[in-house]
Amino acid sequence: MAREKIYQEEEFPSPFLQLWQIFRQTPVAMVGLGCSIFLIVLAVFSPILTPHSAIESNLDMLLLPPSWDPSGNITFLLGTDDLGRDMLSRLMSGASLTFGLSFVVVVISLVIGVLIGSLSALTSGIKASFLNHFLDVVLSIPSLLLAIIIVAILGPGLSNTLWAIVMVLIPQFVHITRNAVKEEFVKDYVLASRLDGASSLRILRYSVFPNIVEKIISQATLAQSAAILDIAALGFLGLGAPIPLPEWGAMLKSGIDLFYIAPWAVYLPGLAILFSVVATNLVGEGIRHSLKLHKES
Amino acid sequence: MLIFTLRRLNLFFFTMLLLTLLSFSLSFLFPGNALLNVSGQINASPEQILLLSESYKTESSIFAQYISYLKHILSGDLGISMSSQTPISVEIADLLPATIELSMVALLLAMAIGIPLGFIAAIKHNKPADNIILSIAMIGYSIPVFWLGLLAILIFSITLPWLPSAGQISLLFEIKHVTGIQLIDILLSDNAYKWQAFQNASAHIILPACVIAVAPGTIFIRLARSSMLEVLETSYIRAASAKGLTFNQIIFHHAIRNSLVKIIRHVGLQFANLITLAMITEVIFSWPGIGRWLIDSIYQRDYTAIQSGLLVLSCFIFIIHILTDFVYAALNPMARDNKHA
Amino acid sequence: MMTLLRRIMVTCLFLGGAACNQDDTLTLSSKSIVYCAEGSPESFNPQIITSGTTVDATSNHLYNRLITFDSKDNSISPSIAKSWHETRDGKMITFYLRKNIAFHTTQYFTPTRTLTADDVLFSFNRILDKNHEFHGVSGGNYPFFESVQLGSLIKEIEKINEYTVRFKLYRQDSSFLANLATDFAVILSEEYGQQLAKNNTHQQIDISPIGTGPFKLKEYRVGSFIRYYRHDDYWQGKVALEQLVFDITPSNTGRLTKLLTNECDVSAYPIAHKKIMEHPNLTLEAVTSFNVAYLGFNTQKAPFDNKIVRQAVSYAINKKSIVDTIYSGRAEVAKSLLQKGSWAYDDSVIDQVYSVDKAKELLKLSGLENGFEMDIWAMNIQRAYNPNALTMAKLIQADLKEIGIKVNIISYEWATFLQRIKQGEHQSVLLGWTADHPDPDNFFTSLLSCSSVNSGSNSTLWCNKAFDNLLLKSLETTNIKLRKEYYSQALAIIAQEIPLLPLAHSKRYQARANNVKGDIMSSFGGINFLTVYKSEVGKE
Repeated sequence: MAREKIYQEEEFPSPFLQLWQIFRQTPVAMVGLGCSIFLIVLAVFSPILTPHSAIESNLDMLLLPPSWDPSGNITFLLGTDDLGRDMLSRLMSGASLTFGLSFVVVVISLVIGVLIGSLSALTSGIKASFLNHFLDVVLSIPSLLLAIIIVAILGPGLSNTLWAIVMVLIPQFVHITRNAVKEEFVKDYVLASRLDGASSLRILRYSVFPNIVEKIISQATLAQSAAILDIAALGFLGLGAPIPLPEWGAMLKSGIDLFYIAPWAVYLPGLAILFSVVATNLVGEGIRHSLKLHKES
Repeated sequence: MLIFTLRRLNLFFFTMLLLTLLSFSLSFLFPGNALLNVSGQINASPEQILLLSESYKTESSIFAQYISYLKHILSGDLGISMSSQTPISVEIADLLPATIELSMVALLLAMAIGIPLGFIAAIKHNKPADNIILSIAMIGYSIPVFWLGLLAILIFSITLPWLPSAGQISLLFEIKHVTGIQLIDILLSDNAYKWQAFQNASAHIILPACVIAVAPGTIFIRLARSSMLEVLETSYIRAASAKGLTFNQIIFHHAIRNSLVKIIRHVGLQFANLITLAMITEVIFSWPGIGRWLIDSIYQRDYTAIQSGLLVLSCFIFIIHILTDFVYAALNPMARDNKHA
Repeated sequence: MMTLLRRIMVTCLFLGGAACNQDDTLTLSSKSIVYCAEGSPESFNPQIITSGTTVDATSNHLYNRLITFDSKDNSISPSIAKSWHETRDGKMITFYLRKNIAFHTTQYFTPTRTLTADDVLFSFNRILDKNHEFHGVSGGNYPFFESVQLGSLIKEIEKINEYTVRFKLYRQDSSFLANLATDFAVILSEEYGQQLAKNNTHQQIDISPIGTGPFKLKEYRVGSFIRYYRHDDYWQGKVALEQLVFDITPSNTGRLTKLLTNECDVSAYPIAHKKIMEHPNLTLEAVTSFNVAYLGFNTQKAPFDNKIVRQAVSYAINKKSIVDTIYSGRAEVAKSLLQKGSWAYDDSVIDQVYSVDKAKELLKLSGLENGFEMDIWAMNIQRAYNPNALTMAKLIQADLKEIGIKVNIISYEWATFLQRIKQGEHQSVLLGWTADHPDPDNFFTSLLSCSSVNSGSNSTLWCNKAFDNLLLKSLETTNIKLRKEYYSQALAIIAQEIPLLPLAHSKRYQARANNVKGDIMSSFGGINFLTVYKSEVGKE
């Protein structure tokens, strides 16, 4: 292994590519990946794709059941809610709120977390030990509880929810990056580039990152599924997205009042959350599975 | 063991310090007057405010303020709720036991179901049974708990009227508050309808406890599976099988015991997770616990209640954490020498 | 009671097991009612509140009044006072009290005497006499009585003898008796007051109540439940129910779920009416309730201190579609505060038409043509007049967006909500009013008079001298034709000034299990469980 790494610039995508080779041989993981890509497309293009407005109410079409019901209407494929808003359009726009925003949240906390994590891996002594202890305490508090605490301080609202979740996720990335970087730093190939005279930052950038990127991505999928569930849970508790926004958790909450009249207003957002979390978890499982096989091979 | 205990006590002390500092700073972070936030006396007259500011030493340095805040907490004075104007310590004493009861039942359920399933999956490694259990686990921890709760009510309370949908017990039964843990209180009471009440209370706890148990249960499946797999690969198991012990003997006499010890370690972490799930589930099942109360306090911007509620809840989670550490250390001598607290 | 329980215990021991447990539930639940209420009471004394939730939860169960409304024709009929006499000029009214009316015996109070004139004096002097020992207890506000200006009406209350009380008035007031018959004018125990004064625990009078009503308070857990036990010495005879529990369930779906799963026997303000009507074991009932839902503007805060802005907003709101959506067509669009059943109803009052253009025009006139941002406060619980204020606020939000106004919806838990409204923190609010008695004055004086600004029941903080004068004039005469004329003029002022925009008049609904018998709701005032019992069929 160490000898091959001398020509890093030609070699560096290879661990990732190797992983991909294994990943694509797992059908379940590929299904998960397909679903995730579908959700990402939906999140980005939902304003163009939705057949109706997600926020404007349509008072002539109140509480229509889904179209397969005898009294349903084909133009409102999944029915409407108590203000006559098309469920399908709301669910699609919800994808950009719940799924899309969770993606953004994960990316932001990944960047910050990896930065802090790799810098902290380069330090040692009391500072490092303090960070370690601090991380241990923070990581032992469940993410949703921590998010609720932060929302309680910042006050309810969608942007506050997102910041809260970013803050909750950062320590996880710091932790995983720090450990992974430390692990890599003792390996021979790092020593080789150090002997070449490379600075620590250069080693990080060109030698270490390509080798830990899959670990970080695997953590990102975990963070993503937690973020979806947390955004939805806060929305459900009425602490997240404000009233007219079609965030899935908030939709579910307002659907509860219609539980007995329009059960689809409860089923559909819940299914959407479940679908996106399962898709994310399948991808994550796939990556972890391939990582394991990769290590064994 | 002594050093282990000292180290834990040290950690406990340090964390409590951090938590009280955080909770103390919350009264400044929340909007409004810090003194009112910490005491909750929103209807106080100017004279009362003067007395309050004296007792919380608002005129002195931040350090003196913190010390007087600590004094108030240690004497059991958590302020009064801004919305109901009753002492928060009283409200918490009323509500926390209900949450403990619910989460303990849920934890037992999660362990009783999750761990055996995980063992089965490990023993049948890479066989259909393993895959089925893993798929169930995957769905189990992907399902949003609030949705699951609603579906459970729809199925088990409405469609099949088996279990009640809300509360801790039918309100017709009058149970005296002794420990706050309903099932124990019923047994302690001298109510004529005691057994009836006990049945009723048990029926009430099943549904919310099951809903809470699903996600931690699936995590226990994964934990049990991986720790069993790990144990099965160790040399002493191989030695045992070389000795000619049957598979069953190995599993029941050696493997289960040793993998259980590894799982115990994670119970503390799972308990914290469970409390969060319980908070949401309490809202759905109108369980009179601290989670529902805390979320209500957030709605009502009752800063005193949020501040003190969070302090009590996080202390409680942390204490459970340390307790499980002790149990683990008692079961596994090797853990006692672990340097990392 | 004890012997009965013991007998059950003994039979249990002999029979053992499940069969006996069935018996237990039957005895316990057949003499108890669980009522799913929509919110927590603010206090246990209706004298100091106006909210219907509190009246429903306390008044008729804990207390009696001097006089009451007949449940059939809404005429005034005897209660604690077995009869009364009014002088010709209407300035002196004498009440003759019933004897042997017992107060509650509870863990915290044991009465030594039955109700006398002293109790009546105590109850009213607490409200009227600013120097009374109990006047300032729990804040010293008596919103209902302040809004009907009882203080400036009653000159003196005189005890003639132990069982005779005379009210002397400054002037005639045609709504006086009706006001005394409302759920707010309850009679407290003077003896209990003395006991509390001795222990210096005055505030307990509104927290641990003592009254003469059919039920006494056993336990109250804030936000969770109220437990009442039967008052065994109730003067109107034995009450059928042994236990009455108010299960406080603010969630609409929660109440329906509990009703469907038999956890509640009766539910306030049910949703999904069709589902209840289709259910074999449930009944949906409705009473005509004189009420109005309105959008009130805080006329002391910008921009709604400007009449033109209020008019603009009122033009932009599509009342018809709101009523169709929120009430599913089971309510009428409100033209004014009064509805058709009231004798003062005037069809000629100008109705606000829905016109976006007109609204834009007016906004331009007020210099706000670029729109502005406003708060609408909407309660999160159901009221008879408004089953879903939050959705209503969302509809108004959409309507006002058309004329460039951005609406933020604000909501709090009910008791906090009312508290903050009282302090004038809102900019506009979706509220309503349910009449306490049949006199139309109840709508005007309580909602919009200057005196109700101070008492807190006027959420618009609007005070108009000409309007107040009309109300006063109308009270000083018993000539119905003249009164109607005054009220028509008052309605015209409201239509011009728009301190509030009336939206809808609705019925009050309730759902119950079929085995619950007896009348619970009435057109005026709170619910009553006096005559309620469970039929023998029991478990269905």
